[in-house]
Amino acid sequence: MKQRLLLVLSILLSFTLITAACGDDESTDTADPVDNGDSGDSGDGGDGGDDGDGDGDECSRTGTVAAPVKPDDTTSEVDASGVTAAFVYLTDPGDAGWTWAHNRGAEQAAAATGATLLTVDNIAEGSPEFEQSVRDFIADGANAVFATSFGYMDAMETLSGEFPDVDFFHATGFKANDTNFGNYFGRVYQARYLTGLAAGAASASGNIGYVAAFPIPEVIRGINAFTLGVREANPDATVTVNWTSTWFDPAVEGEAAQALLDGGADVLAMHQDSTAAGERAEAACARWVSYNSDMSEFAPNAYLASAIWNWGAYYADAIESVADGSFAGGGNWPGMETGLVQIGSLADDVSDATRTLIDERSAAMIDGSWDPFTGPINDQDGNLVIADGDVPPDFGADEEGRSLLDQNWFVEGVIGSAGG
Amino acid sequence: MSHPAVELDGIWKRFPGVIANAGASLTVRPGTVHAVLGENGAGKTTLMNCLAGVYRPDEGAVRVHGVEQRFSAPADAIAAGIGMVHQEFRLVDTFTVAENVVLGAAPRVVSQRAIAGEVADLAQRFGFEADPARPVWQLSMGERQRVEILKALWRNAQVLILDEPTAVLTPQEAVEFGNVLRRMVEDGRAVIFISHKLDEVTSFCDEATVLRWGETVAAGVAIADVDVTELAALMVGEVEAAPSPDRMTEPGDVAMSVKDLTVDDARGLVAVDDVSLEVRAGEIVGIAGVAGNGQRALTDAIAGLESPRTGAISVMGIDVSDAPPQKRFAAGLAYVPEDRLGVGLAPKLPVAENAVMRAYRTLRRGPLLSWRAAREYSEQIVERFEVKVGRMDLPLASLSGGNLQRLLLGRELTSGPDVIVASQPTRGLDVAGVRAIQRLLLEQRDGGTAVLMVSEDLDELLSLADRILVMVEGRIVGEFDAHSATRTEIGEAMMGAPS
Amino acid sequence: MKKLVLVRRETPTRGGQPAAFVAGFILALGLGAILLLISGDPVWEVYTRMFERSLGSKDVMSATLNRATPLALAGLAVSIAATMGLWNIGAEGQILFGATAATFVGRIGEDWSGPVLIIAMLLGGAIGGALWAAGPGLVRAELGVSEIITTLMLNEVALRLIRYLQNGRWKDPEGLLFPVIEPRPVQSGLGTIWERAHLGVVIAFAVVAAFAWFAKHSVWGYELKIAGASPKTAAYAGISMRRKVLGVMVLSGAVAGLAGGIELTGTATRLDVNISSGFGFAGIIVAALALMRPSGVAVVALLFGAVQVGGISIQSIGVSSAVSGVLQALILFGAIGAGVLSSYRVQAVERKVVAT
Repeated sequence: MKQRLLLVLSILLSFTLITAACGDDESTDTADPVDNGDSGDSGDGGDGGDDGDGDGDECSRTGTVAAPVKPDDTTSEVDASGVTAAFVYLTDPGDAGWTWAHNRGAEQAAAATGATLLTVDNIAEGSPEFEQSVRDFIADGANAVFATSFGYMDAMETLSGEFPDVDFFHATGFKANDTNFGNYFGRVYQARYLTGLAAGAASASGNIGYVAAFPIPEVIRGINAFTLGVREANPDATVTVNWTSTWFDPAVEGEAAQALLDGGADVLAMHQDSTAAGERAEAACARWVSYNSDMSEFAPNAYLASAIWNWGAYYADAIESVADGSFAGGGNWPGMETGLVQIGSLADDVSDATRTLIDERSAAMIDGSWDPFTGPINDQDGNLVIADGDVPPDFGADEEGRSLLDQNWFVEGVIGSAGG
Repeated sequence: MSHPAVELDGIWKRFPGVIANAGASLTVRPGTVHAVLGENGAGKTTLMNCLAGVYRPDEGAVRVHGVEQRFSAPADAIAAGIGMVHQEFRLVDTFTVAENVVLGAAPRVVSQRAIAGEVADLAQRFGFEADPARPVWQLSMGERQRVEILKALWRNAQVLILDEPTAVLTPQEAVEFGNVLRRMVEDGRAVIFISHKLDEVTSFCDEATVLRWGETVAAGVAIADVDVTELAALMVGEVEAAPSPDRMTEPGDVAMSVKDLTVDDARGLVAVDDVSLEVRAGEIVGIAGVAGNGQRALTDAIAGLESPRTGAISVMGIDVSDAPPQKRFAAGLAYVPEDRLGVGLAPKLPVAENAVMRAYRTLRRGPLLSWRAAREYSEQIVERFEVKVGRMDLPLASLSGGNLQRLLLGRELTSGPDVIVASQPTRGLDVAGVRAIQRLLLEQRDGGTAVLMVSEDLDELLSLADRILVMVEGRIVGEFDAHSATRTEIGEAMMGAPS
Repeated sequence: MKKLVLVRRETPTRGGQPAAFVAGFILALGLGAILLLISGDPVWEVYTRMFERSLGSKDVMSATLNRATPLALAGLAVSIAATMGLWNIGAEGQILFGATAATFVGRIGEDWSGPVLIIAMLLGGAIGGALWAAGPGLVRAELGVSEIITTLMLNEVALRLIRYLQNGRWKDPEGLLFPVIEPRPVQSGLGTIWERAHLGVVIAFAVVAAFAWFAKHSVWGYELKIAGASPKTAAYAGISMRRKVLGVMVLSGAVAGLAGGIELTGTATRLDVNISSGFGFAGIIVAALALMRPSGVAVVALLFGAVQVGGISIQSIGVSSAVSGVLQALILFGAIGAGVLSSYRVQAVERKVVAT
């Protein structure tokens, strides 16, 4: 009898473990760096000393950073005072990061167009709270709804059907109609490519780390464009990816960054909302490329460059299209030509040659004559994926996933798995 | 002239549907053992609970050593030097004796050994035997009571209220207990002694107060001046004759047989050691023994609440050794467990829910239970067995001890069982209650039911039983004909002397 | 010298509990007003909005009903377990796994007709929840392992299971590699019955009422009552505690799992880690407020639903989610605290002077 019970118990326990392990699948990459990070802490002292003084002495660089590039104020000729624009955010805007960039853009756009701005934050994706918040806004008179996280997509679709007089703008998704529901995003990969140029030039070891959120096309595209930039400046350099499965978790992201640093990386890039990677890079005398906004203030010595969003102009345009009734749903994916994506300030030690290269590529992207994904481009295993001179289409391309919006493979020079 | 240790003056206490105390008074002088007597429902326990801070009286004054007190919690009463040992013990089973004694009153820095030593010293001073390191769940009811008394003494109680203290003791232990009482009052303590055993009252106590219907009918009577009959008359109004054990029928065939029964207790030690016994129809077999000698395990195993290691049990020729409790009941085996409130009844639930606990399977309609039928069934039991209940929908806990037992026994007897196993069926009941229960058991015997009765009251067994089996350390060590055996013989067997 | 102490009443005051709820509610609004003043939010506007947006119109009342639905079922699940003295802290996990199981059924029955598929998915949800609670029930019944710990741990397992499915097995091929699960079949949506209220509202409250009635009038409910009141007495009456513990946990899990199925088919379009919004944990509060009585759960769930819907609505006038959360908690716990207080009374007692 007792034995049978033990058997039952052990089956149950094994089941628990298996499920837990399966659930861990996507976060295995986080689990490892945490471990490495722990062991790395003790190794830290040996490497470079973890006390502040030691760092100060050993870091060759004391950054004197130019004024950070902040999104420009925008102007508008259209009177959109009849527009009430409601923004739903996943997280608190905070003082840097994804939501901050959107919220700042929303404020600028509202100021420029005279539209009324309503916001709510901390609304979980896929939760019933999203729908209720939007309904509350519409009851309060909102006639434009902006939702800035992927998981709001289904509810946006439902609500756009129910409220034909309200315009719905959804960031990072792929659903749309041709009347009142559209999706939007920006070609931030273009700015990432430019930061890659700076990172490649700055890396002495050729070992660059990338603290990445989730293995989705948006992130993969960013890693690829960054890597293309890195290898343009430094052909033998590699970019090692460490997945965190988080959008905002400073502890996890910091540990993941530490693991990369412990592995010898001397430049870090990242794709989350926290500044944790920058803080680790600063402590380890490494360099750092920030994302979302110009975060040079957070790690003045480590800061190298940044790929930043400037949503103000985009939102002003969107609000104007609501005011004059020209909005008709669909997808919208502007690039550097609109100023939506930019490269932030560059550290003072970025060489003139690199600055010139950045300016050249930047100009080519703005005039539309060139894109970072212009072939020839090999994948991780050395197979030619994009032929010489080709530029992959944005969407719906071919079975190899060569289109930009469903890119699911890594370019040559990336170390890590695009499958997560 | 010193103040009385305790003065209760004109205490009123009402509960929904019941007036428990109607202006009861009590005066206890220091250095005396004071008996509080009264029938079940006379309001003794309520009055004592008012003194111990469990209840607040609706009216009336409580004075301790001349100082008026308004207790809002038992802790206040304890702080004022009142200690109460309740009928139902309030101990933490998994704690040791010492831990229970000091629980809530331990010095800040607790050294297990030092406390154990002090508890042992305290026990010795008052002539108890108590191993401070034993967990309470291993103790018999008698031993647990000692722990309760030690608890009160540890808290430096100047007034000790003992509710039915001798019910769990052997006759010899009871005599010894009297000496303990005397030792406790020697240095000025007062003991309030609630009991129904009038001979104990007359031999241990100095004074007595008698309650009836919540009022004091005799206050501070000097025991030396009255005799047992007078006290009994004061309690019940008029003395009811003890039931006549004279039988009208002769024992018939074997109704229940237990063969080679061995039961292990929770510690894995042998609690019942190879016991075989038979009870015939129309016969009362008594089990005598000091508390904690395996009686509980024996009756629990017969009723199916314990699984024995070996042995066979049959009821009316049907082997029930492996049957669950309800099957045994269906086979004709009724059981009155020793722990009425913990095992036999669910005190949190109302009367009807308790009354149909055995019969509900017969009152069902498909998956549903007919509550109308259940209520009618309960009302029959209440009526037939004269259970005094306030409101039927109030929790059972509002009933007095005697009424609880009537309800329990009534429930067990309603189905007309062939065998009754009754463990301590009269423990803690007043004279009238004891007589009523005894009469019921004798009626059953005369109706041809086999009765196995465990009691620690030897006089009761001698007057009711046909045969008496003596149980020591799990074994049946002797069998006596109840009509010819003497107290001394049986008492010696209970102490383990060879018979 | 006098001091004030709380004294437990020997008998609860008649009608004291409803009165205490109201008093506690008002007290909570007062404390909430102070909180709002400190946080700089307009007190009157916040309170009127909370009311208007949860109970002020048919439309929002239907939203409150939808919100109350999983709360009522989760509260029922917790109180079912509590009748036997068991703590089902795992209603959250059972909701999640119920929704997962319902999704699984939806994947199998993609081509089935709407009504058949909905019934199958709701049953699947209930069975899933039951399975998720059966493990803790089994180890509790057979080995005495605390169900509090096992159910709590399984919450995390259920969450991780959905994450796994999101990233692997059930990933939406049309989701551009985003970690989302494929939408449930379109025909599996519960229809609306009144304004925005979906059919699940009726199902949930019918289940609560049915359980309350069945517990009162069935042999099973009677046995449960005894087992909950006194396990030893139950054994004496021949009631198998092991089977009761397992049965109660399974039923509790089934009710929570049904909530998961209803959320999936009623308010959500696809399985997601956020599908529950903490309903399983809120259910513990619902059950506690309802004093663990199934009959009280429905009322408390409606109140709770209104408070939550109102609490979300004030966030869109700039009240931070933190302040909104504290305000909701204040209102609910004000009522709970008052409910508990109604079985006590305040008394002034003499402070003891300790002689030295």
